[in-house]
Amino acid sequence: MMWRNVWAVIRREYLQRVRSRWFVAATVGGPIFMAALFIVPAYFAGQSDRDARDLAIVDGTNVLYERVAPKLEDAGWTVFEERWRADVVTELRLAAAEGTIGGFVLLDELTLETGEAILYASSRPSTVRQFSMRSSIARAALEYQLEQRGVDVAAMLQGGELRVELLSGAGSDMEDPQFAVAYLGAFFLYMVILLYAVSVMRATLEEKTNRIVEVIISSMKPWHLMLGKILGVGAVSMTQMGIWLGTGVLLVATGFPMLIAARPEMANLSELRDVLPGFGLLSLFVGFFVFGFFMYSGLYAAVGAMCNSDEEAQQAQIPVMMLLIVPIVMITGVIEDPNSTLAVGLSLFPLFTPILMWGRVASGVVPAWEVALSFVLMLVAIFAIAWVAGRIYRVGILMAGKRPTLPELWRWVREA
Amino acid sequence: MNDNGFAIRLRGVTKRFGKHTAVDSFDFDVPRGSICGLLGPNGSGKTTSIRMIMGILLPDEGSVSLFGADPDLSRRTKVGYLPEERGVYRKMKCLEFITFLGEIRGVRRAEGRRRGGEWLERLGLAEWADKRVEDLSKGMQQKVQFIGTVIHEPELLILDEPFSGLDPINQDVLEEIVRDFHARGTTILFSTHLMDQAERLCERVCLISSSRKVLDADLRELKAAERRGVVAVEFEGPDGWLHGSEIERVEPVAGGLNLFLRDGADHQPILERAVASGARILRFDLVEPRLHEIFVRHAGADAVGDAGVPGVSGAEAGP
Repeated sequence: MMWRNVWAVIRREYLQRVRSRWFVAATVGGPIFMAALFIVPAYFAGQSDRDARDLAIVDGTNVLYERVAPKLEDAGWTVFEERWRADVVTELRLAAAEGTIGGFVLLDELTLETGEAILYASSRPSTVRQFSMRSSIARAALEYQLEQRGVDVAAMLQGGELRVELLSGAGSDMEDPQFAVAYLGAFFLYMVILLYAVSVMRATLEEKTNRIVEVIISSMKPWHLMLGKILGVGAVSMTQMGIWLGTGVLLVATGFPMLIAARPEMANLSELRDVLPGFGLLSLFVGFFVFGFFMYSGLYAAVGAMCNSDEEAQQAQIPVMMLLIVPIVMITGVIEDPNSTLAVGLSLFPLFTPILMWGRVASGVVPAWEVALSFVLMLVAIFAIAWVAGRIYRVGILMAGKRPTLPELWRWVREA
Repeated sequence: MNDNGFAIRLRGVTKRFGKHTAVDSFDFDVPRGSICGLLGPNGSGKTTSIRMIMGILLPDEGSVSLFGADPDLSRRTKVGYLPEERGVYRKMKCLEFITFLGEIRGVRRAEGRRRGGEWLERLGLAEWADKRVEDLSKGMQQKVQFIGTVIHEPELLILDEPFSGLDPINQDVLEEIVRDFHARGTTILFSTHLMDQAERLCERVCLISSSRKVLDADLRELKAAERRGVVAVEFEGPDGWLHGSEIERVEPVAGGLNLFLRDGADHQPILERAVASGARILRFDLVEPRLHEIFVRHAGADAVGDAGVPGVSGAEAGP
């Protein structure tokens, strides 16, 4: 009987939300928006100067073409080689005038020494394209020169590599530190935890203000109603995140390669894969979200239960929201120095853990036992919050009139 | 189950909000199978009493028992409770809403949908089943909510102001349904400030005023005991017989006069005098006291306040 009640509440909450226009818009719109954010610029980059894209390369050095061609192809041109001969310039001028080619580039000994080259074109390419062509050619020349001296040019130009050997021997199998992922992930966690926890508060408040709660409470325990609400909204959040993550993975894993195969000029999309978090980090992200949601939704449910109007709730939720804002304020410091005593201590405080511990694992090396401990502490916090919030909820949900003061709240918790 | 014949029993129930006493040492019984009206003006403590019966509020003093025991969850689920402040899930479809209310009281979904469909049909809302509750008029929402109240076929119906907000036609429909439930043995307690309604429906009435119980009795017995003092007459001819020591005052009403007799006075001499005077008597009718009048007599006119019925008009006295 009890579980059937809770199940009925979960089911209602879930279906009601998943069917709403807002949910469909956010769930479908989110990935589309994100994909557009990456695809549109790539598309435009490939699209512009389209008519001037077919380029003849006249290589007077005989060593540059093989190095320049792939770089220019990457930058969106289609190139082919013309042998050097006496009247090649005249011929190519004619072809360009007829429109069969977009223009041609002359490379000679001077190019090898200074990186200087000449582009004959019917119209001036955009500054960006000029720049990419210039640097492609200069880079090719540099590579050639360095290779002559036996330098591993590719590795050098990648920016080298710094291998960190830990003296203590401690370590973890976390992925490479990723600054941007740590930051963006922390903000995303803050947003989604707040979003869904506030949903629980609104749902509670709505039931309370329209008095339907009187009917429901006459058939089930307040605690079960609260549990059903939280699990229902939680299921909605998991659905939404699942769809987001799923389409994200699908897009990066298969969508982008397909797109690149179809339109080579969008090749720069593939670089995105290198900065995205891997499976281990994603799982931790979901874990931090779920635990964070259960802690905060309990708090928000209690806030909703003790208020009588939206305005009141806006005010009453401020202390709870501060608990989420504090770690966001501290995230920069924690990411910069993830293993300082302060960072370790704060990230183990359960209400700060989702955001701060995420910042640490995503930006540095955190011992596995610390991560495990933080989850245990969050679990303890979830039960503690459920106990306290459940009592506040039980009294508050049927209470009309003035919002309780702190001493009154404490009495509710003790006496309920 | 310790039955003892009462669906609801309150003993010495008192509820205070701050300095205000909302309900003051209230004793109240609702026998199983009866249909009871809890009457009183707005703010007299009806809703507070009902909330205590439903366990929404806890009494400061006294005891509440439901089906002879504590009003715990297992007993409360056998009650169909329609609160005074109408609450619905506005975004839900009507039938889903009704099904949900059944589900949390142990009615399986398929069964709930079937019953809900039948009820919607019966109340003329069949084509609204898949519409959102918020798309319905207020009266229709109220009907949907009523269906939600009875979907689990409760043993006891507690309806707080069920008729307010309904047009006369729908009031009649609802009255009919309430009678139906009564005929099938369901115990019914409803609160109202409309004396007419109570007079038509109730077997028992409990009058409260200013947080205190004024009367609690079987309606028929009450009326018999309270029958006194008003005679409705219609006549042609001389009217000199209207002057007599028995008659306190005379009040013209539609189609005749109401004669208010002094306490303890007999109506027989008046009739004899009238006949002797040669007046042609078309009607000489001992008027049953109306509930409103009884209430005023016991609680005082001030207490009735906005109780919603104009003064005595014997010519259209109830059944």
